[in-house]
Parts: sequence; C-alpha cells; structure tokens
Amino acid sequence: MLLPLILAIHASGGDPDLVRRLQQRDPRALGELYDRYGRLAFSLILRIVRDAGVAEDLVQETFLRVWNRAGGFDAEKGAIGPWLLAVARNRAIDYLRSASGRERNALELEEAEHPSFYRDMESEILQSDRARRVKAALKKLSPQQREVIELAYFEGLSQTEMAERMGQPLGTVKTWVRTALKNLRDDLGVVVPA
Amino acid sequence: MTHEELQDCYALYALGLAGDPERAEIREHLARGCEVCMQNLYRARELTAMLAAAPDAAAPSPRLRRRIMASVGAEDRRFGWAPFLAGALALSLFAAFYFSTRENQFANETLLLRDQLRRQAIELTRLNEAFAILGGPGTIEAGFGQGPKGKVFVNPQRGILLIASNLPPAPDGKIYEAWVIPKGGKPIPAGLFQSDSSGAATHVHPGPVAADANIIAVTLEPAQGSDQPTSTPLLAATLQ
Repeated sequence: MLLPLILAIHASGGDPDLVRRLQQRDPRALGELYDRYGRLAFSLILRIVRDAGVAEDLVQETFLRVWNRAGGFDAEKGAIGPWLLAVARNRAIDYLRSASGRERNALELEEAEHPSFYRDMESEILQSDRARRVKAALKKLSPQQREVIELAYFEGLSQTEMAERMGQPLGTVKTWVRTALKNLRDDLGVVVPA
Repeated sequence: MTHEELQDCYALYALGLAGDPERAEIREHLARGCEVCMQNLYRARELTAMLAAAPDAAAPSPRLRRRIMASVGAEDRRFGWAPFLAGALALSLFAAFYFSTRENQFANETLLLRDQLRRQAIELTRLNEAFAILGGPGTIEAGFGQGPKGKVFVNPQRGILLIASNLPPAPDGKIYEAWVIPKGGKPIPAGLFQSDSSGAATHVHPGPVAADANIIAVTLEPAQGSDQPTSTPLLAATLQ
C-alpha cells in the first residue's frame, strides 16, 4: 500500500503543472500521471472487480477518460488524484453493475466524476498516514457498519440493494449507514456533513 | 428544502446513496450553482477520496503503462531505456568489483615486494659488513669443529663474522647466541642468529671487539637471548 501512496504524496506538489501539461495534450504528462496514480487506481479497481485483467482494462479506460476530460479541470484548485480515483471507482462500479445485470445509473456516475467537484481538497488527502487512519477507522466500525460502507463504496449498492443483500429492513440499513458515516467523520476529522 | 434539512444528505449523495426527494433537491441546487451545496459536496467527497486509498496495494503488469501511452499515440520511452540502464548498472557493478579486486591484488603485491626489498637490503648490509670484516686489516681467523664445523673471523674494529655448517636449526622457543669471551672475563653477548634447514649459518656482529677477546663461542638460548650463557657451548673457536 505504501509505495503508490508515497508516489502520490511526492506527486501532490506538482499537480497544477501536471494538469496544465495534460490540458496541452503532452503525452509525457500522461505518463507522469500514471506513475503517480497508476498503482493506486489499479489497487482500487482490483478491489472492486477482483479480476486483474479486467482491472487493467478499466485502469486504461480511466486514464483515457482523464486525458480526454482534463480540459474541464481547474489546474489551480483541482485535486487531480481524488478526481482520477473517483473516475477509477466509477469505471469499476459501472462494470460491476453491468456485468451483474444491475441497473446502471449513468447520471449519478457522470455527476460523481465531474471534474468540477474535485477542488479545494487538501493535497495530503491521499497520504499514507491518512490511508492508515481510514483503514483504522473502518476497522473500528461495527461489522454491520463496515459492511454497508464497503457495499456502498466498493460495490456501488444502493441502500435498498444492501437491505436485500443483507436480509435486513431498509430502515436498519439506513441507520447503519448514517452511524457509520458519522463515526468515520468523527474519527477522521473530516468536515463532512453527516 | 433548506440547506439545514439537506445537511444529512451530502455524504450519502457523495457515496451515491442519497434517495429522492433529497437527491433531486441537491441536484436542483447544484444546477442553479448553489455555492453552499457545492462546498458541502467538496467536503463530503474528501471522505470518499480517502476511502479510495483503503484497499491493499496491488501492482499492474509493466505492459499497462505501454498500453496507456500507446492509446494516446505516444511511445513509452521509459521502458525503452530500462534495459540499457540495467545493463549499464550491471557493467558498473562488475567494473567496480573487478577493479577493487585488482586494486587489492596490486596492494598485496606491493606489500610483498616491499618486504622482499627490505629483506634484500638487510642481507646486502650484512654482506657488506661481512666483506668489511673479511677484508679489513688485522682480521684474525679461527676454526672450530666438533659437531658443528666452521670458522670465525674477528676484526678488532669491524666486528665478528661466523660461518657454520652442520648446525641444526634451533628448536621452537630457542635461538643461537654468540659470545665473546675475554681472557679471565665474563662472556660478552655478540648477537643472536638462526641456522637454515640445511644446518648452515652466517652470523655477522658488527662493531669493535674487546682487545682481550680469547674465545668466540655459541650457545643455545631462550628466544629473547640471555645476558650470560645458560647452556654449554655448542661450538667454541679459540683466537690465536
């Protein structure tokens, strides 16, 4: 886990310049972007689709999507790492939903990876100590709370789908989700509206 | 809906879990450029961004970078250089190892040569001293021969030269010591020496010799030598 994070950390300082070069269609910038975030993106996608071959295809799709959409990104205020990982997650969730015959919510995915939503984030957001804290915070959740967060984030399930999967009333699942998000917010010190 | 009423929904929205009517309400706010909703969503997405770093690390194949670069029509130069860099590194390591080994060899050989040179210089000095004794005016000669056989040459100013054969090497912890024994006086130490494996020995003791020297003798002594003989002489040459 540490190597890609370290690469991401070292990369964070030069992101605005990197984004500008991506916007100028400099292929070397794409190579640098891959060197910084490629392993993180692959690790995330692999966690979701659990197939290395499919994961590599989706990583390629992710980087091409970022390459083609970098023009709409704010080089000064944008956080390209979090944006790229959001694109990576969406590609993987979309694949998962499509492969399992579940409804694909194209509008939601489109919104979730819109570059304008990834700005004003701390550049340290992907640093290794943060990742460790996230892991620790997830471990501290109750098994049910952790499961609903993982089902939502790594499988893209709605609360209704989670209730069906877990055989629990929708109200119970909603309570677990809200409590889990509150606990994560408290533990991580993120100013997230609960 | 007011922002207060929507407060609970931003994190759910960022995770894709918000349901209607809240989801529709947030979308409507965003569509009209609502800054409060935008800010709340930025913050909410920080949490989802952090979750992205939570999975265990995995490495894609090295081919993936090439594929991605090729898909935008660029050549992946990084891997083109890799074999050359690896080759250069291997060559450098080999050269460093080779030259450090050679340097060690040279250093050892130099030490050996210096040692040989030092020994030869000592031997040359000894020979010069021996010739000076042999060729010096007033040198007298005396023989000995019961067991060890040989001769001593004594020059009053230049010293003593002793040449012996049939003198087996002194055992471990022992050494031969030469003595000048004056008439009616105590033996005076005249140097330590060893014989070689064939039983031959050449001993030079430079310096003035006591005028009343009468006998040149050799005894077996402890390795550090003695002030006075501690054993019976193995050989003794009486000076005429």
